Amino acid sequence: MSQERRVPWVIKYRPRRIADVVNQEEAKKIFLSWFDSWLRGKPEKKAALLYGPPGSGKTSLVEAVAGEYGLELLEMNASDYRRSSDIERIAAASSRGASLIGARGKIILLDEVEGISVTADLGALDSILNLIKRTAHPVVLIANDPWDPRLRELREVCLLVEFKRLTKTEIRKVLQSICKNEKIDCEDEAIDFIAERAEGDLRSAINDLEALGEGFGRVTYALVRSVLGYRNRELNSFEVVRRILISKYAWQARVAASQTDLAPDELIQWINENVPRQAVDPEDLWRAYESLSKADIYMSRVVKSGSWDLLSYASDMMTAGVALAIRNPQYKFKWVKYGFPERIRMMFKTREVRQIRDDLAKVVAQHLKCSTSVAKSEVIPLLRVIFENNPEYAARLALGLGLSDSMVRYLSEKNGDKIVKRVEELRAELRKTLLESLESSARRGVEKAEAPTKKTPEKKGVKGSGGLEGFFKK
Amino acid sequence: MSARGTLAELLWAEKYRPRSLREMVNQEEVVKRLQVFVKEKNMPHLLFAGPPGTGKTTAAHALAHDLYGEDYRLYMLELNASDERGIDVIRTKVKEFARSKLPTNVPFKIVLLDEADNMTADAQQALRRLMEMYVDVTRFILIANYPSKIIEPIQSRCAVFRFTQLKKEDVTSRLKWICSNEKVICDDRGLEAVYEVSEGDMRKAINILQAASALGEVNVSNVYKVVGLATPAEVRALLKSALFEGDFLKARENLRKLMVSYGLSGVDIVKQLHREIFSSEVNVPEEMRVEIADYLGEVQFRLVEGADDEIQLSALLAKLVLLGRPLRQQPQVKPAKVK
Repeated sequence: MSQERRVPWVIKYRPRRIADVVNQEEAKKIFLSWFDSWLRGKPEKKAALLYGPPGSGKTSLVEAVAGEYGLELLEMNASDYRRSSDIERIAAASSRGASLIGARGKIILLDEVEGISVTADLGALDSILNLIKRTAHPVVLIANDPWDPRLRELREVCLLVEFKRLTKTEIRKVLQSICKNEKIDCEDEAIDFIAERAEGDLRSAINDLEALGEGFGRVTYALVRSVLGYRNRELNSFEVVRRILISKYAWQARVAASQTDLAPDELIQWINENVPRQAVDPEDLWRAYESLSKADIYMSRVVKSGSWDLLSYASDMMTAGVALAIRNPQYKFKWVKYGFPERIRMMFKTREVRQIRDDLAKVVAQHLKCSTSVAKSEVIPLLRVIFENNPEYAARLALGLGLSDSMVRYLSEKNGDKIVKRVEELRAELRKTLLESLESSARRGVEKAEAPTKKTPEKKGVKGSGGLEGFFKK
Repeated sequence: MSARGTLAELLWAEKYRPRSLREMVNQEEVVKRLQVFVKEKNMPHLLFAGPPGTGKTTAAHALAHDLYGEDYRLYMLELNASDERGIDVIRTKVKEFARSKLPTNVPFKIVLLDEADNMTADAQQALRRLMEMYVDVTRFILIANYPSKIIEPIQSRCAVFRFTQLKKEDVTSRLKWICSNEKVICDDRGLEAVYEVSEGDMRKAINILQAASALGEVNVSNVYKVVGLATPAEVRALLKSALFEGDFLKARENLRKLMVSYGLSGVDIVKQLHREIFSSEVNVPEEMRVEIADYLGEVQFRLVEGADDEIQLSALLAKLVLLGRPLRQQPQVKPAKVK
């Protein structure tokens, strides 16, 4: 991740104006008329309680109102309620009836009021009630569920404003405009999937989009499916792996493994990713990997032989085997941060480069009549040496082999542009010589003038030599 | 041709590949027998076995060329079993071709299966049936490094040709001839070095020769420079962080880079590590080189059996971290000279 501080999109794209708050017309009307009564100086109720599902725009609306009227927003949330003295202080400040619409007019916002605990935050409720009674400024309370019995007294002194769950269409619209603004290439189906999965919560939808857009650049349906699909279970998977690795007894590890919906081939990836974080002691790490590699061998035997009974042995080795291998008490139970299997993410990130490399390997394999794996391990590294050290020669090779520009750049970052340019020149020169020879042969009245043109290196890549072979390539 | 020849360059391994059996300078025994097939315009199924770079693929193409002439590829289906190894390919592509009507001007068609030892057992079984059913119109040439990985019934249906390791003089004289053709300056010690690093594999030797010539001339220092440059830096970095720093996570990062961005298979990486641990630039006690080689052998075996690249190589890294512990604890052992 980059070190620079960047504004999260949920903040960057927060509505600046009241009109920007999407699709809560009913709530807006009620809230604004209440606010208007404050402006006129005689509100019926001094506080409003905004309620509705998460991410539906409650806080955003209050912020937009404050912004548009140039008011200061005094904000408190669940973590502040612990100290009723803080609430008292705000109450004191707000009761001093400075001019409401002066330069320093205020809105007092109490977010997440259902987070107040009756026992732990003793007195907090009273303080709030007191605040509402004495305030000279509008007080806005926000809650997801207003029908919580603890909030009964608050409900009675507040105007209730309901926010509806946002529909998929609205969420989709917002996501699309963000994509446009951030210049993110996002498939429609991917947006649909994110919107669907958000279940009316715009904030989480934007967070998902940001995570994917930032991490991967291009957001495809397949990507969203695999990453978000995983995320659903992610907490679960981390927890399962942790339980397996810190198990002291074989049965513990086996029970832990039974509590996941990860398939064995996924679970082994999760364990592989995180084993080295828990098994810091080299002896432990080595023992753990001996066991894990046996599990892997058993799995390959399952696939080969088709006898799924063998799977339980693979499972034992990757769970109990690994757990019991980690013995050093200094690290065994230590809490460390686990990670999502990096391999899956890397595969996504490097897809384009891998495609170029695989195409290049195919070209080389066709020329040398070898397999693409030989091309990758033996030939391409040598081509790299040539391309990095002798651009002129490299350009002639690129022309002869019919390499694309991206392949050339893959072979040499340093000389890529130079070589590409040189290939162009060589190609033009070649065309010229061919044309000349064509003309001279035409003058000599030789027929079959197109024979040499077949040799122009314009064709992309290497084609089969036609005939039956070409036919059977289909 | 001439304009293209001066402006565009090919890989020498392609450019100097013998087109006809007559041009083949090695494997005299094999070539002689193959020429009999050409003369009689008939042949059984063939199995070419031998180490890499000894002329198996070249001989197969040259044979087809001599049988059918310049357009021989019209009558031959080439598949590399490493790239297309599944049973589906056999059932579709190969079967379609094998049973297709025989062109009137040739006695039979040829299916060339390169690296056939990489075919799955299922695919080999399917292949065996095809070899029987369509033998009147189609002949198979199978090429393998390890003929023992070809199932018995197929072996028994083929005439087996063993290609022997090329002799040093054969390789160096060929390389010298290429150099004179290409007007590249070379010296004998440079050519010998090419032979050493390519382990008798002609294709590899020619590729290294070409890369070395691109650096100027073919001498010992350029040859080793090429080989060093062609070995990804991550291989050595991986050894360094596992063995000398005991940093498993860092070593794994390099491992993933080798697999994902270079596209190297687990076996490729094991082989490169194998070369690396016997290099004088990696400063470890002698007995440790042997111990690591022993484990590399085990890992490669597991990989060949079908185990997962990343997990098996991670196990290898864990082993290296453990083996390297005494190196890290004794400061009097000089730290590795690692570039």
